[in-house]
Amino acid sequence: MKNTLPNVFLSRDDIHSEVWNNAVKFEKGRLYLVEAASGTGKSSLCSFIYGYRFDYQGIIAFDAQSTRNYSVAQWVNIRRRTLSLLWQELRLFPELTALENIQIKNKLTHYADEPKIRQWFERLGIGDKLSAKVGRMSFGQQQRVAFIRSLCQPCDFLFLDEPISHLDDENGRIMGEMIKEEAMDHQGAGVIVTSIGKHIPLNYDKSFKL
Amino acid sequence: MNLVWKLLRQHISVPQLVGFFFANLCGMAIVLLSVQFYEDVLPVFTQGDSFMKKDYVIVSKRISTIGTFTGKSNTFTQEDIDEVKQQPFSKAVGAFQPSEYKVSAGLAMEGTGMQMSTEMFFESVPDMFVDVTSHQWTYTPGSQDVPIIIPRNYLNLYNFGFAQSHNMPKISEGLMGMIHLNILIRGTQGQQANFRGNIVGFSNRLNTILVPEKFMNWANQTYAPEIKTASSRLIVEVGNPADDRIAKFFQKKGYETEDDKLDAGKTTWFLKMTISIVMGVGLLISALSFYILMLSIYLLLQKNTVKLENLLLLGYSPSRVAAPYQLLTFGLNVLVLLLAVVLVLWIRGYYLDILTLLAPQMAHDSLTNMFLAGGALFILVSVLNVIAIRGKVISIWKHRA
Repeated sequence: MKNTLPNVFLSRDDIHSEVWNNAVKFEKGRLYLVEAASGTGKSSLCSFIYGYRFDYQGIIAFDAQSTRNYSVAQWVNIRRRTLSLLWQELRLFPELTALENIQIKNKLTHYADEPKIRQWFERLGIGDKLSAKVGRMSFGQQQRVAFIRSLCQPCDFLFLDEPISHLDDENGRIMGEMIKEEAMDHQGAGVIVTSIGKHIPLNYDKSFKL
Repeated sequence: MNLVWKLLRQHISVPQLVGFFFANLCGMAIVLLSVQFYEDVLPVFTQGDSFMKKDYVIVSKRISTIGTFTGKSNTFTQEDIDEVKQQPFSKAVGAFQPSEYKVSAGLAMEGTGMQMSTEMFFESVPDMFVDVTSHQWTYTPGSQDVPIIIPRNYLNLYNFGFAQSHNMPKISEGLMGMIHLNILIRGTQGQQANFRGNIVGFSNRLNTILVPEKFMNWANQTYAPEIKTASSRLIVEVGNPADDRIAKFFQKKGYETEDDKLDAGKTTWFLKMTISIVMGVGLLISALSFYILMLSIYLLLQKNTVKLENLLLLGYSPSRVAAPYQLLTFGLNVLVLLLAVVLVLWIRGYYLDILTLLAPQMAHDSLTNMFLAGGALFILVSVLNVIAIRGKVISIWKHRA
């Protein structure tokens, strides 16, 4: 990322950020923390990198190749194999059950098998919610479902946008363990976690102030 | 796929799809029915004569008083024929070939002792202009049997005029076919020969006594070898008798056309007009129903925008996300096509009975054009559906929805 800045911030000249208008590089296998107050553009950052939004200035590049001109097929491929994102707003399907929400992703990637998925559910304390409709679950429970979904794909980078905003410390700790095991140790992926204060207790390689 | 479908089928409006289904069925059925009806009914006008097919115009040069006195020929030269051939409206031109020898025909009624005999003439046109399915319409040189087609008027004249006043038996067309005419030919050099004429057909529109061209060639050569035949009438196959260039051209050249031929042409033209209007209405209904479907699908996509967007963000490709809706419309279209075909065949069953009564000699088995029209309409609607849905999903991808 070089000199990247969201369009909405263009008119402001008081940007003091370690990310915006700076060159930032994320590497595989490392753990990053992006800390920020509300409204400084955490989710925008995730959207820009994930190819969801393009209303920014500057350059976002994967392996030195700008993502601006990626084709639809390239993005589809990236979202299946390279980047995994846990949205702050989760983007689950409320009319499907928790398990179906996972399967709809896993059917694309065939990454995790069902016992593994059940084990993850158990570990996060929502093993009894497998066949519950997501729409009926609390936000904290939904957050865990969305987290499991983000693990159901091969990836080079895992983005977690405020993953524990509605979780207790214990669940945050478990999530941290799972990130370490599944994403970093197992896949060797880079992990980028954003936070507005409360963050998963992990040994971050680097932390940015947005 | 089923999970995706489970998501995307939400908000599907059954009443809207049913509305589209019936509207499109209606439009499709009207279009197909008009195509089929045209196919079935047109032969009644163009082939109803059992003699003529398609659209033909018979042309002759005007016989004027001055021409008669000056001895001006009213026959067509080769240049005249070529000129007609070159006209954009003419598909084929055939010359009537007159007999250059004398012909008299006699009719003997056994048992009555009656014997009628009359001087007459023969004419022939190329076989391609004669639509006689009969295998009898052929001649082998030297044979005694000559097939003949006479105007239906002649039979009427006899039945309602002559036979009535002379207390003679009336003759049906079938009976006429069984009667042999005694034909005597006298050549220019005094040769004489007897033939047996068999009436194999009747013509409503062609006012001449017709024999096969083969016979005519042979007889002219045998009995009038020194005379070069020239035809005074032409038969022209035209693409569309309603074409005003035909009338203009013939008027300019001073040719005359036989009127009732153009009448049939007019009937055909009106039939075509009517069918076109009906077909237009059918197409309009189809177009409107297509519009309903598109609105319904757009509404559906709009309502499911968030779901579609989330699927796209999960890594589903736009084509995969569009597929369920494309399949849905495709399936509906297939169903409409099948039902419309069944409906048309069913309705056709009703009018075909009447049509068979009106024109028994015709074969009604051509469904090809209807299937072609149905297929074309189906493909057009489906392709437009698929493209529109795909476009909509892409616009969701680009957040323009």
